[in-house]
Amino acid sequence: MDRNQIAKWLKEPGKMGQKYSLWATYFCTGCGIIEVPPVITARWDAERFGVIPVSSPRQANLFMITGFVTLKTLKAIIRTYELMPEPKYTVGFGSCPINGGMYWDSYNTIKHLDKYIPIDGWIAGCMPRPEAIFIAVTHLWTLIDKGMADGYIRYRENYRYYRRNQEMVLGKLEWPPLYPVD
Amino acid sequence: MWVKAVEIIVSPILAFVIGLFFMGLARKITARIHWRYGPPITQPLIDVIKLFTQRSVSHGLLFDMGVILSLAGSIALVLFIPFGGICPLESSGGLLVILYLMLLIPLGLALSGGEGANPNISIGISRKLMLSLGYEVPFLLAVLAIMTHYHTISAVDVVRAQEGFRWALFSWPLVLPGLAYLMILPAMLGLRPFEVVQAPQEIASGPMVEYGGKYLALVQIEHALAVFVTIALFVDLFLGGASNPFFFFLKMCVIFLLGMFVNAVFPRFRIEQAVRFLWRWPTALAFVGLVFTLLAR
Repeated sequence: MDRNQIAKWLKEPGKMGQKYSLWATYFCTGCGIIEVPPVITARWDAERFGVIPVSSPRQANLFMITGFVTLKTLKAIIRTYELMPEPKYTVGFGSCPINGGMYWDSYNTIKHLDKYIPIDGWIAGCMPRPEAIFIAVTHLWTLIDKGMADGYIRYRENYRYYRRNQEMVLGKLEWPPLYPVD
Repeated sequence: MWVKAVEIIVSPILAFVIGLFFMGLARKITARIHWRYGPPITQPLIDVIKLFTQRSVSHGLLFDMGVILSLAGSIALVLFIPFGGICPLESSGGLLVILYLMLLIPLGLALSGGEGANPNISIGISRKLMLSLGYEVPFLLAVLAIMTHYHTISAVDVVRAQEGFRWALFSWPLVLPGLAYLMILPAMLGLRPFEVVQAPQEIASGPMVEYGGKYLALVQIEHALAVFVTIALFVDLFLGGASNPFFFFLKMCVIFLLGMFVNAVFPRFRIEQAVRFLWRWPTALAFVGLVFTLLAR
């Protein structure tokens, strides 16, 4: 550990803990997940950054959407995101969640993921290299440090907007609203 | 009087620190065996701090109480374990109390998991109870052999009888229950050949699947204490304890590293293979050891 971080640890232990222990939920959409097994295993070893995959959304606080999002997957993404405990961070991985990518004219993928759930950061590229994930993690550390990784707060405050967009593409949702909408 | 009070407060904290150190060491050593760099050794502490700051979802009163019961059971258990000359509650109960209190840990988690109502929890809990059925039999036989050989039910007296390198693991016939205990240690710790309970790839970490935030932090602390208790009990019963906490800690490290080396390279048993193994070799060894102990009296 860096010596100049000790003061930070004493001042804000919660924030430092959230920075250095990002648990990512096992969730794969599209082809981007093929870059994740090398990242978490021996070749690139994400564990030295404190990033480990966990198998339940209840335990996770990092959500990576890896690749194109079909309407069916979007439903699962929203439910998984709402199950995760706050504070939670989302990262869109690859071009497709940003603007549709090569599926820009497809009839059943969504084009802009941040209309449906809040995104804290993007990794552009098709495919991004595994190193890009580590750059994203260090950027996320900076954002958490400055209090700018506030996707979960935006979701709570603008829940009507997100819920309306979700219902626009998915029709009637079969689960009740997470926050009151009126 | 005051010394006793300080010991009662300090020993669970010491057990928590040592348990977390072991969990960090486990991740680091597994990483080195996989030729990775691995997380910092303080990573479990960072995880626990983070988990305490998260908002968590409860599923009802029993869900909360089961976790607390399990944690309370393991804290009470620590007080009965002699730790290199420190034993806060040495005069009361001894090994029989330890045997009873060890049941509270899976029972608390089972109680809490029943309220969680997730199918993965039911599978995990039934696997946990099945596995403890497997390792309790050789464990009880081994402890019974120790109690018969030393004519006492007090853990402190067992440690005292082994002073001066008369360790039970290197004496006839107690070497047989000692080896049996060594074989069931991975099952009691939930390490890899017997990691059937929280198999993340099969049943999404089993009993832990509904725990998030503060609940998971409490379960992590409970797991750290359970790791401490299981290894400390082996060191007390078969390796003669130690005269001061430092040597005790060294002995615990050796035993834990043996478990880790097995954990890092072996795949997982299925549940019926695990129970078949546990009821065959460790049980046979412990039973033969008990019979020889009775004949030698």
